[in-house]
Amino acid sequence: MRFQLLLLTSLISFVACEKDKPTPTIDQRAYSVTTSGNVVTVRNLPGDTIIGVSAQGQPVGAGRYTFFSLESGQWIPNADSNSSRWDLAFAGTTVRVNNLTSGPGSGGGFVFNGSFETLASVPVDSTFRVDNHPVSYAIPRGSGRAWYTYDGPTNLLTPIPGRTLVIRTANGQRAKVEILNYYRGGSTPSASAADSIKIRDQRFFHFRYTKF
Amino acid sequence: MRLVVFILFLLLSSTSSFAQADSLRNLQEVVITATRQERRLGNVAVPVTLIQQQQIRQAGSLRLRDILQEQSGLVMTSAFGVGVQMQGLNPEHTLILVDGQPLVGRTSGVLDLNRIALAGIKRIEIVKGPSSSLYGSEAMAGVINLITEAPGKKELSGSLRYGTGNPDKGWALPFASSGFQQLDADLQVGYQVGKWKFRHSNNYLYNDGISFRPFSTDRIPRPINRLTHQTTLLRPIGERTEFKLLLRANQDKIEQEFAVRNNGQLIESYGREKNTEWNIQPTITYRPGQRLALHSRGFFTRYVGDQRLFFVQKPDSSYLDRFEQHLYRFEQQLDWTIGRSEWIFGAGYQIDQARSTRYDALDNRKQNRVAYAFAQWEWKLNEKLISVAGMRYDDNQLFAAALTPKWSLRYKPNEKWSVQASVGQGFKAPDFRQLYLNFTNNAAGGYSVYGTQDAIRIINELNRLGQIAELQPDFSKLSDLTPEYSTGTNLGVTYQPKQTITVRLNGFRNDIRSLIDVRQVATRIDGAQIFSYLNVKRAYTYGLESEFKWQFHSQWTLQTGYQWLRTGDKDELDRIKKGLEYTRAPDGSSRVMTLREYVGLPNRSEHQAQFKLRYQPAEHRFVFLRLLYRSRWTIANSNGNGVHDVQDEYANGFLQINLSGGIPLRKNIQLQAGIENLLNYQDVNYLPNFPGRNIYMTLNFKL
Repeated sequence: MRFQLLLLTSLISFVACEKDKPTPTIDQRAYSVTTSGNVVTVRNLPGDTIIGVSAQGQPVGAGRYTFFSLESGQWIPNADSNSSRWDLAFAGTTVRVNNLTSGPGSGGGFVFNGSFETLASVPVDSTFRVDNHPVSYAIPRGSGRAWYTYDGPTNLLTPIPGRTLVIRTANGQRAKVEILNYYRGGSTPSASAADSIKIRDQRFFHFRYTKF
Repeated sequence: MRLVVFILFLLLSSTSSFAQADSLRNLQEVVITATRQERRLGNVAVPVTLIQQQQIRQAGSLRLRDILQEQSGLVMTSAFGVGVQMQGLNPEHTLILVDGQPLVGRTSGVLDLNRIALAGIKRIEIVKGPSSSLYGSEAMAGVINLITEAPGKKELSGSLRYGTGNPDKGWALPFASSGFQQLDADLQVGYQVGKWKFRHSNNYLYNDGISFRPFSTDRIPRPINRLTHQTTLLRPIGERTEFKLLLRANQDKIEQEFAVRNNGQLIESYGREKNTEWNIQPTITYRPGQRLALHSRGFFTRYVGDQRLFFVQKPDSSYLDRFEQHLYRFEQQLDWTIGRSEWIFGAGYQIDQARSTRYDALDNRKQNRVAYAFAQWEWKLNEKLISVAGMRYDDNQLFAAALTPKWSLRYKPNEKWSVQASVGQGFKAPDFRQLYLNFTNNAAGGYSVYGTQDAIRIINELNRLGQIAELQPDFSKLSDLTPEYSTGTNLGVTYQPKQTITVRLNGFRNDIRSLIDVRQVATRIDGAQIFSYLNVKRAYTYGLESEFKWQFHSQWTLQTGYQWLRTGDKDELDRIKKGLEYTRAPDGSSRVMTLREYVGLPNRSEHQAQFKLRYQPAEHRFVFLRLLYRSRWTIANSNGNGVHDVQDEYANGFLQINLSGGIPLRKNIQLQAGIENLLNYQDVNYLPNFPGRNIYMTLNFKL
C-alpha cells in the first residue's frame, strides 16, 4: 500500500513536472502545517533531534527547544523564547508550556484520558498544571505517564492512543492537542529496524490540535 | 539433496517387510504420569501424549527441545533459553520431571530445554491440563515427565553424530571453517553384578554455534559443551522390596558474544556461562501383597548457574551473575486397591533453598519449606466408566497454602469411541525471584526491582531517608504473594474406527487468576522507578487440539496434529468492552479499539500444525518426514496502547521441515542421516535460538 502511494505520488509529480506547474504535494519527511476545518496538523516538527554521541556514548541533541504557537500555527524562532509568542516547546520527550519556569506567559496544561474527537470542551472539574522545571511538568515526563511509552528492548517511543493534551496557551486560550508520532516521516520504525535509523529519525513531532 | 536420494534408494531397494506395529499398540501402551500409577493409555481420562524412544531416535533428537518442538500443541519460546508453551500458558507453568521428580534451575521461570539431554530416556509423557492435584506447584498447564531407561538389560550401545551447516549460505562442506560444526557422542552401558542391576548413560554434545549476528542484543551461543551422565541402579531386596537409585549429573559450558544496551548505547560483551546440576533420587518400593504398594522416595538436587560477562572495551572489568538452588524432598506414597477402587495416598516434605547475586547478598541463603499431602481415588464404575478424583494440599512456609482438587471421567461406550472430561485446579508458587530479587540496573536509568519479602521494608527505609519522591497507588497493595491459580477444563473425544486409525479431539480452557506481574510501586527523587511483584493479572486461554494417526500401509504411517488457540488478559478485555482502550486510525488519530482487533497475550500463535509421514520397511530402515508450522505471533506493541492488537508488529509464521532416514549397515551398526530445518528458515530477530539448516550423519552401534 505504501509503495503504491509512493508510486502514485511520484507519478503525480512527474505529470506535474510535464505540465510545468507547481503542485501542492507534501514531502512526507519535511516540516509542514496543514489545516482541515478547524483542526491543524503539524508534521515533522523537530524537537532537539540527535546530532551526535555524548562522551558516555549516548545519542544526544543540541539541547535546544523548538517553540510552537498554537494560536498562529507557526514555528517560533528561538530568539522569541522569552516571550508570550509560543505555547508549546519540544525537546526530546519533554513538552513544556509557557509559564513560570518555562516562560513569561500564562500557559498550562494537563493530560486527558480520552480521544481527541470526544473531548468537546475543557472538563469543568479540571485543573491546569504548570511547569516547575526540573522537578515536575504540566505534561509529566516518563514512559506511560503522559503521552508516550518507551520500550527498552526495542528502543522505540510510541505516543499512547487516547491521550489528549489540554493546553492553555500563553495568552490564556484553550486548545486540545494530540501527539500522533515521534519519528520523521510519521511512522514508527519497525522493532527490528537498525538502531541507526531509530536514532536518526526520532524526535520529530507529529501532532494535531484545535482551539476550543 | 544427493544424500536424500541415496538414502531413499537404499530404503526402496530393501526387500524386507518388517511390519511396524507402533501405532497399533498405541492405546495399549503404559503411562504413569497421569495418575502416578501405571495405566494403559486408553484408560486415562486426561489428554496424554506419549513419545517413545524409537520416535526420539528416528527424529534425530538430541535435546528435549528437539523432540518437543515436533509435538502438537507445544510451542517453543526463546527468552531465557528455550521454553515450552503448553495450552497457551507460559513456560513457568509447565512442570518438567525426570522419573516423577522436578528439574530445578529456572531463569525468569524458564527451564532451558536445551539443557536436557535425551540420552538414557526411554519415553516422554506429556499430560495436558492442570496436574497440581498430584504434582503440586508449576503443574498448571501440564506436566512433561521424562522416564529413564530401566537398568537390567545387558547392553553396550552408542552413537556418534556429526552435523554441519551454514545459516548464511544454507550449505556447508563437512569441517569447513565457514560453517558450524556439531558433534554428539553417546554411550550406554547396562550390566548386572549379582543382584545389582546397573545402567550408565553418557552423553557429550559440542556445538560451535551459530554466529550469524555477532554482538547483537540477542544471546547467540558460540561454542557449547554439554556433558550429561546418568546412572540407574536397581536391586531387589527379598521378594517384596525393590531399591532403585537414579543419579544424574549435567554440565554446560557456553560461550557467547552479544551486546548489552547501556543507556541506549550498545556495549560489546563476551559471556562465559557454566551450569552445573546434579540430582539423586533413591526409591524403595515395598509390595506386601497384590493390592498394596508402598513407595518411599528421596530427592536431592542442586543447580548452579554461573554467568560472567566481560566487556570488549573494558577488558579488566567483569560482571558476575550467579544462581544456586537446592531442593531436598522426602515423599511417601501408598497405592491401595479395594474392589473397584484404586486409592493413592501420599505425603511429603521439601526444603527449597536458593542464593543469588541478584538477591541482597550472595551469602544469604533463602529458604522455603513445603509440607504436602495428596490423595486420589480412581473408581472403575463398570467397563465403560472410570472416575478419577484427586486433591492435594501444599502448606508453604513463605506464602499462603494451596489446595488443588481435580476430577476426571472417561466414558467408553464401545470399542470405537471414548470420551474424556476433566476439570482441575493448578497452582504455581511464587518463586525466589519474586520474593527476594534485589536488583538495581545502573546501566538503564537506575531502576530497581525488589521481591515482595523486602520491598516494603526497603522502600519505607528509603522514604525515611528522603529518597522517595512518590509512592504509587500499587505500593499500598504490596503484601505477601499468594500462589497463582488456574482452573483448567478439558473435554476430549477419541475415535478409533479401525486398529490403524486414531482420531483425537480435545477442547481446553484455562482461567488463570492472581497472576504475578511486575508493577511500579514508587519513584525515587532522581526519577528512577522502583518495581515489585503483585498478584494482579487475570488471563484465559482456550482452544482446540486435534490429532490424526493413520497407518495406511504396513510400512507407512501418517500423523497430523493441529492446535487452534485464543488467549487474552481479562482486565484488558474488560477495558476494551468498556471502550477504554484506544488504537490508531490510518491517519494517525486515536479511536476506540474494538473487540475484534484484540489479539490477546503476546507470543501466542493462533494456529500450529504438524504433518508427519514415516516409511519403515524394516526395524532400522526408515524415512521420517516432519512438517511443522506455526502461524504469526505478536512481538511488540507498536501503537503504544499497551494491549496487543492487529496493528502490532508480528513475527512471521513459518514452516520447518525436518527429514531423517536410516539404514542398517551391518548386524550391529546402523547409519542414520538427516536434515533439520530443510528450508533453512531463519528469523534473527524473533527466533534467536533457531539455527539454520543442519545436515547430520549418525553411526549407531549396539552390541
